Amino acid sequence: MSDFSEELVRPTTEDEQGETCVLSGTGMCFPWLQKHIETVGKTLVATGGKREKDFAQTTSACLSFIQEALLKHQWQQAAEYMHSYLQILEDSDSNKRQGAPEIIWRLGSEILYYHPKSSLETFNTFADRMKNIGVMNYLKVRSDLCDGGLFSSLWQISLQHALYLLHHGLLEDANRNLSQAETWRYGEKSSSKEVLINLIQAYKGLLQYYTWSKKKMELSQLDEDDYAYNTASQNMLNHSWKTSINLCALIQIPGVWDPFVKSYVEMLEFYGDQDGAREVLTNYAYDEKFPSNPNAHIYLYGFLKRERAPREKLISVLKLSIEKNMILHRKKEEHHKLGLEVLFGVLDFAGCTKNITAWKYLAKYLRQTLMGSHLAWVQEEWNSRKNWWPRFHFSYFWAKSDWKDDKTLACEKALVAGILLGKGICFIFFFSGHGF
Amino acid sequence: MDFPSSLPPSLFMTGPLGLSDVPDVSFMCSWRDALTLPESPPQASENGAPHLAKGLLWEPDTPGPLPLLPPGPDPWDPGLTARDLLFRGGYHFRRQPRAVLDVTEQLSQFLWDHGDIAFAPLGKLMLENFKLEGAQALYFLIHFCPWAYLSYRQRRFSILGGPVLATSLARLLGELLHEELAARWEQLLLDDAFTGGALAWVPGRMPGAGQLVYPAGGALDRLSRGPDFQKVSLTPGSEPRVLGDPGHIQLRGPVRQVVTRTVQGEGKAHRHLRPLLTDLLPDHNPDLLCPSALLAVRSDYHCALWKVGKPGQPAPLQVLQVEKGATGISLSPHLPGELTVCSRSGAVCLWNPQDGPSPPHGWPVSPRLRQVYKDPETLVFRDPSPWRWADFTAHPRVLTVGDRTGVKLVDTQGPPGCGLLLFRGGAEASCQKGERVLLTQYLGDCSPESLQPTFHLVCTQFSLYLVDERLPLVPLLKWNHGLSSTPVVAQLLPPPRPGCPRPLLLAGQAGELQLLHITGEGASTPRLAGPPQSLPSRSNSLSAFPLLEPKSQWRLQERLSAPTIGLAATVLPSASTPVLSLFQLSAAGDVFHQRLHLQADPRPDSPAPTASWTPRATSRCSRWLKTLLEVPLTPPMWAAPTFSHRRLLGSFESREVEGKVPEGLRTAMAEGRLLQHRDLGLLPTREQPPAPEPGPEDELSERLEAAWEGQVAAWWERRQGGSSGPGKQPKRHKRRTQLSSTFSSLSGRLDLSDATSPPRSPDRTVPEARPQPPVTPPSQELTQGPWAEGIPSERQQTLRDYMAELPLQGDTPGGASAPSSQTSSIRGTSSRQQTLRDCTVKLQLRGDTAGGASMPSSQTSSVRATLSRQQAAILSGSQPLRKKPRMGF
Repeated sequence: MSDFSEELVRPTTEDEQGETCVLSGTGMCFPWLQKHIETVGKTLVATGGKREKDFAQTTSACLSFIQEALLKHQWQQAAEYMHSYLQILEDSDSNKRQGAPEIIWRLGSEILYYHPKSSLETFNTFADRMKNIGVMNYLKVRSDLCDGGLFSSLWQISLQHALYLLHHGLLEDANRNLSQAETWRYGEKSSSKEVLINLIQAYKGLLQYYTWSKKKMELSQLDEDDYAYNTASQNMLNHSWKTSINLCALIQIPGVWDPFVKSYVEMLEFYGDQDGAREVLTNYAYDEKFPSNPNAHIYLYGFLKRERAPREKLISVLKLSIEKNMILHRKKEEHHKLGLEVLFGVLDFAGCTKNITAWKYLAKYLRQTLMGSHLAWVQEEWNSRKNWWPRFHFSYFWAKSDWKDDKTLACEKALVAGILLGKGICFIFFFSGHGF
Repeated sequence: MDFPSSLPPSLFMTGPLGLSDVPDVSFMCSWRDALTLPESPPQASENGAPHLAKGLLWEPDTPGPLPLLPPGPDPWDPGLTARDLLFRGGYHFRRQPRAVLDVTEQLSQFLWDHGDIAFAPLGKLMLENFKLEGAQALYFLIHFCPWAYLSYRQRRFSILGGPVLATSLARLLGELLHEELAARWEQLLLDDAFTGGALAWVPGRMPGAGQLVYPAGGALDRLSRGPDFQKVSLTPGSEPRVLGDPGHIQLRGPVRQVVTRTVQGEGKAHRHLRPLLTDLLPDHNPDLLCPSALLAVRSDYHCALWKVGKPGQPAPLQVLQVEKGATGISLSPHLPGELTVCSRSGAVCLWNPQDGPSPPHGWPVSPRLRQVYKDPETLVFRDPSPWRWADFTAHPRVLTVGDRTGVKLVDTQGPPGCGLLLFRGGAEASCQKGERVLLTQYLGDCSPESLQPTFHLVCTQFSLYLVDERLPLVPLLKWNHGLSSTPVVAQLLPPPRPGCPRPLLLAGQAGELQLLHITGEGASTPRLAGPPQSLPSRSNSLSAFPLLEPKSQWRLQERLSAPTIGLAATVLPSASTPVLSLFQLSAAGDVFHQRLHLQADPRPDSPAPTASWTPRATSRCSRWLKTLLEVPLTPPMWAAPTFSHRRLLGSFESREVEGKVPEGLRTAMAEGRLLQHRDLGLLPTREQPPAPEPGPEDELSERLEAAWEGQVAAWWERRQGGSSGPGKQPKRHKRRTQLSSTFSSLSGRLDLSDATSPPRSPDRTVPEARPQPPVTPPSQELTQGPWAEGIPSERQQTLRDYMAELPLQGDTPGGASAPSSQTSSIRGTSSRQQTLRDCTVKLQLRGDTAGGASMPSSQTSSVRATLSRQQAAILSGSQPLRKKPRMGF
């Protein structure tokens, strides 16, 4: 056999979980390559004896049966296959044995989630068993090489179990679950572990926030002079302190943390820490390491509005959030012009074509701008749009359908079209036919 | 267009693919997506998960899709498979099985099959450098190089030139073949020609009526007809009806992708706003809201746009030639008639046929094109694939540009190259090592029903991602689709009922179909609603066909498992239950149809109902099958080269006078019938036809015979002892070997006769010299002797030609690659001699084919020496000389 074929097709990292996926010469990985190789036959080679090979084949067949049953919504059947699949925990291949709990959890939880006869108890038992197996696996192996993976799967099981409980309204149980997961801190410290610990803690914090906000609700119903009020508020204070500890660590790590940020800021605001809240939100919105998240700007805008920040500042935050979407980078200072720009920008989007408020404001602003003889402003915005806005907004079809659906919208659009295009276009023709 | 008020938490890691140190926290199971964090403290609920429709299930009416149209009249060939390309021997002691291209076998097969192609051009190239005396001989040599046995001079040349020609040839051919095989293999693993799908549904005016547009013609990858337009009428209660014959458009290239988009409000408005084609429209319909559609077609090097109006033939709008090859085309959902076209050169163009002045008739010549992006490099990291894809976004002036490594948002109004990455193949999306983008699609359309118009679908070989263009780099949803082939088409359908999640169809090339339900109304994030579902594929329909004899059954099976290249679906509004009509197009050109209905009353505890075949369905399948079996099979891609025997025969006709010419043989040969002893005018020495004896491979009949006589055990013992004992023919010898030994015995006899005549120069005798095969029983020799007798040399030539054409596969690799050390060790055992003999056959007949090619002249001479020694041994042996020598070489 010539050498090039070796170069052309080489297997993926042989030490990794024994995936049936092979990289090609381009570096691409084909999950279906195995199938091709198997059609040629004789090439299914595994280390170890015949028994191991047979077992590997049987387990992979079993896995595909489970997946097929899941995709056909045959939960009963999938559960039966799953019962057999558990044998993989006895696999002599330690790599496979370690990867097994994760697969079993993923498929098993899916089956139990949809199975008509499963209940909360079954799910809990299953999750606890899986966690036990994970811990036992760790105790057996105890090598630093694999504990990262082991722990991540353990924590994931805990996290998902907690979410499941949360959705069933069992906050206490969910909290206990997460606290338990928090204690699994064996082995060396690593950055990935830190992140996971933070995540677990943040979810815990969120659970505590839920309790807190429940208490807040109760508090709002109490009279301020009441004796009970003091106790309750003291209670809340304690809670919030614990929660903020839990939440603030994760928020520093780049990511999308909307629910965490929202609840954290709400608590900070409640206790009057405006500066802290502003810092958190500004950081969340403007830190370069974070993904660009429109919500971050919305939260900041909302906060500033609550704080009664000056109008300029509000608009600049708003503008920035729109620019983030539009990839348009222009700098203008004038207030009125900014508004025009924002409105044109908003109406560019396919999802906003029927936004009556935007059209109303655009009509108003256009009129004001033209009366203030700032024709150039409109011209500037219009130039880039004149070759497609007519087809996009002011076609005959839209005229007719707008007229049918929402007459106010149609009128506003007609007004804008009249200003921008003149009276010669069909859009106006349509309306002139309807008595305008 | 509200942004989700809070997004699901996810880590944001930057880095390369496969950086899975930190696990994929947010996405694991389909049910996980249902568990978005509650906005407010959740209330304790009794049982079951909220927010999740458990019983969202589309039930198929039949266990598999049914053929909609009769199979096309052209034969279909499934093409290469992995079996044709991969090395069949196992690589042992490896943890991972690996794919190894079988170049040796392919090369040797190629040399056998296409010797003329392999060698003739080389000869022509070398012609100028040769100033040999016999220009005529050289001419012959060049033209019949692999069969250069015509004269001794040529043969000598062949022996001399062997080493030189062999190495250069092997290198040249090897390189080319490698390139070709590697390309084919890559294509087999990933064929991106049909990305986007080549089947489209153009809805008609009435709900349920419409046209299917698809490429027809047997070989989609040869010159094929252009798109066919088949009118179909769908009714919720029954199978679709095909109305009339399809209309055709003839194209000059295979169709790879078909895209349609309904244009609303065609008519006066457009005329006013410089419309598309006002001049081209044959009859201008006064009806203002008649739905018409635009149809964009991508071929390998051309893209074209049609307009499908209500009546008659679609009207052509414009054609665009893409020099480097087009990889993707999409139609704008916002501005009618605007398209994006991607080329292999890395360029993305915005194509606006209606901007240009359209000539009054015929094909407009210069389409209005604007290059909006060009980068021959890939976006995120280096990947060799030239595949590019472009689509639209919620902003009509912003496009997505995708390649194997990521997807970028490009502002067509901004400076060139500006934009930001929407999807990055890397740690941001928790991509695996080796993961590549295979399909991207804009999921928004004009109707903002229940899903935001800002979503994009990105498919890799492992997962499906849903990305919001307002939140670049962070996928909102990730699901492991587990398809066992390339995802080709994805289609988002309108909700079957108001308030229902939207079905998203995903089709793999191997025919798998998956259906996902995606919700995300208003300010909530998109997520999977309910578990994904797999739909029946075409191969599930096999049970609807009657059972056939194996060959036809195999053909049917092959046809049903032809790759999927197109998918179209439409949801029919129905009073009771919504019906999903699903059309699939296969690479064989078959259109299959499947009807599914939404499970009326989802009861979670009832088992999933199973559909069964109706008599109508099976009769339809039988009819289809009958037509299919009437289609002739593909003619073989290649037939053994036929040489100008007639010419040769003609030129040698005059020499036939010498010696006795058995007329019987001549007529037998001319008529191609069985040669009989009386034809030769001889008494039969034994009443045995020259058919090969049942060989050792014919164990079955032997065993059956033995079993019939009740002596299987004895037979088995005999066999066991026999095969291990020495002197017995190894059982792997095939009938072909026998044939070749027949042949060599034939020429051996002739050479024997030569040996008895006065000695000649070794060059003349030796290459033809064959040892008597000791393995062949003498009886066979005897019977075959007369068969060869009295054949004129020219005819022997022809005969030998024929023999040489017989593939000697069993021994070819051995013979072809036998290194010199092995050649010398060949002598000795009888089985080796067999190999040697085969090797010599080739050596002689194809002076410089593979067999001879790898043997430098020194080795050849050593072989020759061996041969003559063996010959001498035979001469001194007990073999009787039966016939007087007549002629030799």
